[in-house]
Amino acid sequence: MSISIKQLFGRKPKSSSIAKQRLKLVITQDRLEQVDDRVMTRLHHELAEVLAKYFEFSANSVKMNLKQEGNSYILVADFPYTKFHDVNVRQ
Amino acid sequence: MGRVIVVTSGKGGVGKTTSTANLGTALALLDKTVVVVDADVGLRNLDIVMGLESRIVYTSMDVIEKQCELNKALVRDRRVDGLMLLAASQKNNKDDIQPEQMKAICDKLRTTHDFVLIDSPAGIERGFRNASAGADEAIIVTTPDVSAIRDADRIIGLLQNARIEPINLVLNRFSAELVGNGSMMDQDDVLDILNIDLIGVVPEDSGVITSTNRGIPLVYEDGSPGAQAYMRIARRLTGQRIPIPDFAQKGLLNNIMNWFKKKK
Ligand SMILES: Nc1ncnc2c1ncn2[C@@H]1O[C@H](COP(=O)(O)OP(=O)(O)OP(=O)(O)O)[C@@H](O)[C@H]1O
Ligand SMILES: [Mg+2]
Repeated sequence: MSISIKQLFGRKPKSSSIAKQRLKLVITQDRLEQVDDRVMTRLHHELAEVLAKYFEFSANSVKMNLKQEGNSYILVADFPYTKFHDVNVRQ
Repeated sequence: MGRVIVVTSGKGGVGKTTSTANLGTALALLDKTVVVVDADVGLRNLDIVMGLESRIVYTSMDVIEKQCELNKALVRDRRVDGLMLLAASQKNNKDDIQPEQMKAICDKLRTTHDFVLIDSPAGIERGFRNASAGADEAIIVTTPDVSAIRDADRIIGLLQNARIEPINLVLNRFSAELVGNGSMMDQDDVLDILNIDLIGVVPEDSGVITSTNRGIPLVYEDGSPGAQAYMRIARRLTGQRIPIPDFAQKGLLNNIMNWFKKKK
């Protein structure tokens, strides 16, 4: 959209800015893809094992994702639980 | 103990061999003892770029196969004190060498020299792994174009996983004119994308091509912009603080001048 307005006024965006924009997108994608599925599955199992000590949840409701914010990458994990085991009571 | 630095890039043809030859020579000119190691087994070029091709007798492969002592395999560059080359075998391929074997060679060389610079082959496979196995630092060479920068980022990830640091960037074949008219990314753009430290910018310089033709590294030609850039990088490698000139600023100035010329 912004490009078309600029074009209306006869100003093409510099090709160097286009290059930079495209690179930022593709490199984000590349980096996210490097965390491969096998690693994510393993992490999923290991996290579930630890969390199962405290919470009750069904394994197939768990969602794990990577996303980017600014210069950092964030691992987001959703573990919807049905019950909290009160660890203090048990001991 | 000397420093082992791998010169690498991901994408081919961006100036790794040129940079290794010139930085190795420049460091020797600054009175450091240096070995440049060609890790491009099967496609060796560092010898011819440095003009030492006629004097190669042994290669790193002969050292690994115990056909010859490491010291005997080093070719002395007679033009400057303290500069040696360890050539790569041309009749073998990259799978004939193990990363541990390269590491053993680097560990030995660092006991007798201030700097060991390793000229890595392009790519992210075995050749790159061999080249980086013995390194504690890296220099990434890239040109300011999309494919070279994308591949550089991939290599940076691999180096970080291998705990190789610092990773310093050499931005090669920079054209102030193209940056000035908006058709080439400048150093700030590249750093913004790659997020590593810049150790130098080498301009596009036809002297690189003629010096390669002759087999005399460009740093011997004091006046050329490429030689000056490589000398500055070598000084920074030795810990001297030397600001990186703003080539883009000069480009802008050039463009303004050209605009006035055209108007006349
Ligand atoms: N700053 C420069 N100015 C002009 N030409 C250059 C510059 N740097 C490199 N070149 C030219 O680019 C070509 C490739 O350089 P070089 O062989 O050093 O790249 P490389 O990264 O080692 O390649 P490979 O991946 O094949 O090993 C050569 O012809 C060289 O002369
Ligand atoms: Mg090369």
